[in-house]
Amino acid sequence: MNAVLRVITLRIGQALATAAVLASLCFVFVHALPGDLALRVAAARVGDERVTPETADRIRREEGLDRPLIVQYGQWMGNLARGDLGRSLLSGKPVTQELTYHAAFTLQLGLIGWLLSYLIALPLGILAGFKPGGMIDRATDALAVTLASLPSFLVGIGLITLFALTLRWLPPAGFRTGAHMVLPAFTLALSLVAFSIPVIRNAVVEVRQSFFMTYARVKGLTPAAAFRHHGVRNAAIPVVTYVALQFAFVIDGFVVIETLFNYPGLGELLVKALIVRDVPVIMGAGLIIGFVFAVVSLMADLVRLWLDPRGLAEARV
Amino acid sequence: MSFVLQPTRERSVPPAISPLVALAGLALFGPFLAPLDPNAQDLMRVMEAPSAAHILGTDHVGRDILSRVLAGAPHSLGLAVLCVAIAASVGVALGLLAANGGKVLRALIMRLADLMLAFPGLLLALLFAGFLGGGIWPMLIGLKLALWPQYARMAEAVATSVLREGHVEAARLAGFPERTILIRHVLPPVLRGVMPLATLGVGQAIMSISALGFLGLGLKPPTPEWGAMINELLPFLTEGFVQMAAPCMMIFLSVLTLTLAGRALASNTTGRAQ
Repeated sequence: MNAVLRVITLRIGQALATAAVLASLCFVFVHALPGDLALRVAAARVGDERVTPETADRIRREEGLDRPLIVQYGQWMGNLARGDLGRSLLSGKPVTQELTYHAAFTLQLGLIGWLLSYLIALPLGILAGFKPGGMIDRATDALAVTLASLPSFLVGIGLITLFALTLRWLPPAGFRTGAHMVLPAFTLALSLVAFSIPVIRNAVVEVRQSFFMTYARVKGLTPAAAFRHHGVRNAAIPVVTYVALQFAFVIDGFVVIETLFNYPGLGELLVKALIVRDVPVIMGAGLIIGFVFAVVSLMADLVRLWLDPRGLAEARV
Repeated sequence: MSFVLQPTRERSVPPAISPLVALAGLALFGPFLAPLDPNAQDLMRVMEAPSAAHILGTDHVGRDILSRVLAGAPHSLGLAVLCVAIAASVGVALGLLAANGGKVLRALIMRLADLMLAFPGLLLALLFAGFLGGGIWPMLIGLKLALWPQYARMAEAVATSVLREGHVEAARLAGFPERTILIRHVLPPVLRGVMPLATLGVGQAIMSISALGFLGLGLKPPTPEWGAMINELLPFLTEGFVQMAAPCMMIFLSVLTLTLAGRALASNTTGRAQ
């Protein structure tokens, strides 16, 4: 289990490094901005017109903005290390509370969208890979290129126009019922499909050309049985690697899709916080996204080791 | 994004030059082609359906959609090209430095590239845009930071393999200085490898820039940037289908052209290398 341990330490290290860099970057940004931070916070809290120097002074004292920068930085990092992300400048609620509330929505949407994307991409990719250059391959290739050229908000607007505004089958935005999930989940799934179809297809093509598949056929297995017994696991290796990479796209997707559908996930929280510069929330959302990214990479590494134990042998040497 | 470049079929199509030229023309001359002032409001004629006066209709404050789409081309296309050009130059320079330099320098540059590559690009641009208050510069810096690693990786990989080849050794033995070898023997194959990536990258950058505009964190209205236009028109989706479709189609067609061109370039260069 040496390799597994190594992978875990590496990924945790990566997560911590990402978090530290993000946290420091945020701090630098916030304090490098022109203008008075306390005044900006006050403006975000009570509205631009009603800000007085007195409110700004009060906030400066309350938030400890009048202390030396190095002290503030130390406190910032210290609080983070203890899991205290501070309070939202806007709502006054603890950031961790805001994050867990919104993260549940994002997780739900992400899981459904991700499953949906593989329900679409796996059959199409495998069929395309079975007959490279055939009709299905050309059709899925065209589909993948088209979807890859559409930013997720265009896919979403298209789906809203068709299913919510024209056919009136589904609600255009919101989050109260299951029906509200359909369009955002499909939007996410279609953005993901664009890139998973070619990956699955190429993996299948490569496996089918390998010697062990020829051997399985020579030995008398049908093409389907040979693929089931010898192909699937081998073809899965690059696909699993890709799933982790894909997560980076998913994050970009979340931010846009949640804003479009007015869905209260992390992406929407982040965009709203960015617009009013609610720094603790921006930082918290950035940190949690970086953290989840590291966890997904870790899981992908572990699944890859399980699928392909050769990695274990190599790592021991 | 490089997996999109893997040609799925054996073929050697010349890159689709004419759509690319059309795109470049649009980015350079778009604003001059606009029939009306893209920012001139006419509150008596809001959300008007397409007519002879306004071929693509008007938006919610009566601005001519066709003029706005044309005038927006340099913002959406030009910025994307600029962004990728700078990111690719920095990436190639760092990649060559890594391939040519010592062990420590290589490890430093490539680890940094790995770290940046693992970070979602739009998120980075978002953080910059959000903290620095929108506008062109934060967005460009964020996108460039996210983009350079793929070019550095490609340049490093190609340069490392080229530096081991016979003709490079011959040039070295012939007494050519290191700089000449880099420029004459290493840079051309590196650029050949980077070109398809960059073509595709411009498409990706168009998507990122329009996504930022759509989120209200990119170029500020009334700039006629396509993503920002979509953001402004979204509440009027039911009344103004054509108006909404115009910037949407511009984004889609630009990215599609660049994606197809990138693929064609990739299959051409890999064909030649064999």
